Amino acid sequence: MPGTSQHLMRRRAVVAETRHLLFSVGPGALWITLFLVLPSAYLMGVAFMTNGPYGLPQMPLTLDAFERLAGFGFLGWSPGNLYTLLRSLWQTLLSTTLVVIVAYPIAYYITTCRERWRPIMLLAVVVPSWTNQVIRTFGWMNLLAPGTPLSELAEGLGLIPPNMGLYPSNFAVTLGLVYNFLPFMVLPLYAAFEKLDGAQVEAAQDLYASPVRAFRHAVFPQTLPGLLAGIVLVAIPAFGMYVIPELLGGGKGMMLGNLVAMQFSGGSNWPLGAAGAILMLIATFIGLFAMRRIGKRLGGGEEVVI
Amino acid sequence: MTKRSLKRGLTGFWWLTLFFLYLPLAVVVLFSFNSVNSSANFAGVSLRWYQRLLSNEQILSAFANSMVLAIVSSVIALGIGCLIGYGMYRHRHRKLGWLIVLIYLPIVLPDIVFGISEMAFFVQVHEATGWLQPGLATMIIAHVTFQIPFVALIIYSRFVGLDPTLFEAAKDLYASPLKRVRHFMLPTIKPALISAFFLSFTLSIDDFVISFFTSGPESATLPIYIWGAIKKGVSPEINAIASLMIGAVALAAVLSLIFNRRRPA
Repeated sequence: MPGTSQHLMRRRAVVAETRHLLFSVGPGALWITLFLVLPSAYLMGVAFMTNGPYGLPQMPLTLDAFERLAGFGFLGWSPGNLYTLLRSLWQTLLSTTLVVIVAYPIAYYITTCRERWRPIMLLAVVVPSWTNQVIRTFGWMNLLAPGTPLSELAEGLGLIPPNMGLYPSNFAVTLGLVYNFLPFMVLPLYAAFEKLDGAQVEAAQDLYASPVRAFRHAVFPQTLPGLLAGIVLVAIPAFGMYVIPELLGGGKGMMLGNLVAMQFSGGSNWPLGAAGAILMLIATFIGLFAMRRIGKRLGGGEEVVI
Repeated sequence: MTKRSLKRGLTGFWWLTLFFLYLPLAVVVLFSFNSVNSSANFAGVSLRWYQRLLSNEQILSAFANSMVLAIVSSVIALGIGCLIGYGMYRHRHRKLGWLIVLIYLPIVLPDIVFGISEMAFFVQVHEATGWLQPGLATMIIAHVTFQIPFVALIIYSRFVGLDPTLFEAAKDLYASPLKRVRHFMLPTIKPALISAFFLSFTLSIDDFVISFFTSGPESATLPIYIWGAIKKGVSPEINAIASLMIGAVALAAVLSLIFNRRRPA
């Protein structure tokens, strides 16, 4: 019967397609599941376990780690961990804001230059970020150490006590973060500026709008998708930053990433570290989700790929 | 504010920002030629730190580790990522939401969480089975994990950019799937393959945090060696090795510029 054979052929095709899907996507999906999904699931589990000898996790399940993270220890409540959390939030907020303030004029300036220069200018902004993060941060250590011209200038202006140097300090961490993330904001903003509809800006100017109002009503909404993408690219990694606060911050500049890492090196307290990691994940997903929502509401959510 | 003064102000701001971006790198390079061991005073030009590099066994083995790690992980990631990229394209009409989540996971996960969960996992697996002792092998596994998504996305976007009828034509032309892969698939995605390999290689060389947490005592890469040296107390040899790495990046930048110039966009 022709009907059955057609049916059989279609079924065979479906099976073949499924097998094809399995063989093409399978190895990678398996790899990521085995070496990332499983480990992070394990880490989340660790957060709910008891801290054993050498900081290794043990049964029974408990919420101790989260209490420790909130500051409750054997000696009662202490604000150390909360300070670290707040500092992470503050540093993220401050550095992201500063990066936006610097990146806007830079991205705009590149679009006003001749077309043949633009790729070179973008490359000039991006190239420093191709060098290893440790080396870049080391460069700032060299610049901000006690006795260097910058530190002596700050001393001369009375900004810091003598012989202290600008690093280690929270200021150095902020500077390092801004330095590190500037290219990530310039690129998406530049992409937005390049597509900018100049007619709207001219219309605003023709109608005697002040530069501020022209920016707010004609430029800002058009570059918003780029700005949101930039904020995602800057704020999320900044919140989990490890290298910069470790090298430039010293004991008083610690951020969440350092608190987490500390619990795993030298065998301190795996469950506490895992609880910190969960917090970081929550922040990451809230950030991604919020950006998507805002992006969609303002139209242009398509641009925010992540 | 006139238009001209705005433009002049922006130009000034541009050069100031460039100065800010290149200053820390310039300082590292400058002090790598310093004849005395100081990061505050420049006493005179000398190459002594570079000479000391050549006889430093640890740095040489760290360099070798970095290279082995970057090349091996990129090759593995290229193979696996290519398959995913092609699978995503072939089955793009299916619902593959779970796959998208899986592919974006390594990208969005903060690298400290990434590194630490792998470390904790490897330690426990090693304790239970004796496999996956922290070292080059675990680092390669971790690097492949964060390289796969980038390879897959590059290959996928290359396929999407192709005319779908090409696939039908290839089917008519070459009977066996193997021949189709060799004479049609691979040649057409060659540019994507090359850029995916270089991106994977760069991501691997550039990574510090994930390597740091998955490495063993014998498998330090250059960034890990530099990190340790900084933590122990700054030695001017770091300036020299860091300068060489900056030089490599500068070279890559110039090459990419020439390469992009020659090829019409």
